[in-house]
Amino acid sequence: MPYREKVAWLSLTAMMVTFGPYFVAVAISPPGDELPNIQQLRALAVAALSQLVLLGAGYLYLRRTSRGESKLPDERDQAISRRSIRYAYGVLTVGMIVVGCVMPFSSGGWTIVNAALLMIVLAEVVHYGAVVLGYRRYA
Amino acid sequence: MIEGILSNQIRSLRFQHGEMTQSQLGERIGVTRQTIAAMESGKYAPSLEAAFRVAHVFGVPLVEVFQWEACRPNEDRRTD
Repeated sequence: MPYREKVAWLSLTAMMVTFGPYFVAVAISPPGDELPNIQQLRALAVAALSQLVLLGAGYLYLRRTSRGESKLPDERDQAISRRSIRYAYGVLTVGMIVVGCVMPFSSGGWTIVNAALLMIVLAEVVHYGAVVLGYRRYA
Repeated sequence: MIEGILSNQIRSLRFQHGEMTQSQLGERIGVTRQTIAAMESGKYAPSLEAAFRVAHVFGVPLVEVFQWEACRPNEDRRTD
């Protein structure tokens, strides 16, 4: 498996196992719209820090186990990256239009904050998912 | 647009050149072993520059490494 595919799997997994439970918790018991909401801020911080720790540990592990493999992207890596960024950009654009231009008329506070975060996470999932699929398809 | 199939002789050329490995060829043209494997299996079409580099490594013209054959047009399809 190419180094960059491993990195994409790592990023995808870290995103799913940290922000997945966060959004499930938000869906089960939506936070109140009052700002600041310390409990909600704490939950967000836990998700973000967990992701950071997982990514850090994963990168260190990949660096150790992938010695000798080229870390620089070649032309196929760049082509896959360009395609995946294009898909993610579309998702992010639609998400930001919904969150920034539609939702303020009906929602506020943490609903908008979490919707914006969800769109960013979705765009990242699409990005890394497309990278993984790209390597599977062109391998 | 004319549809076509790109094929290549990279695998046989590697074996004709002292059983060169995919990693060795990749190092010489600046791509990873996996990219060479993808090229050989026809799942990835290299850039023109990478294609020329492959041909240069084997010391043969480009057309001896890569071939492109146009698909037969669908005779049932009619355009006005």
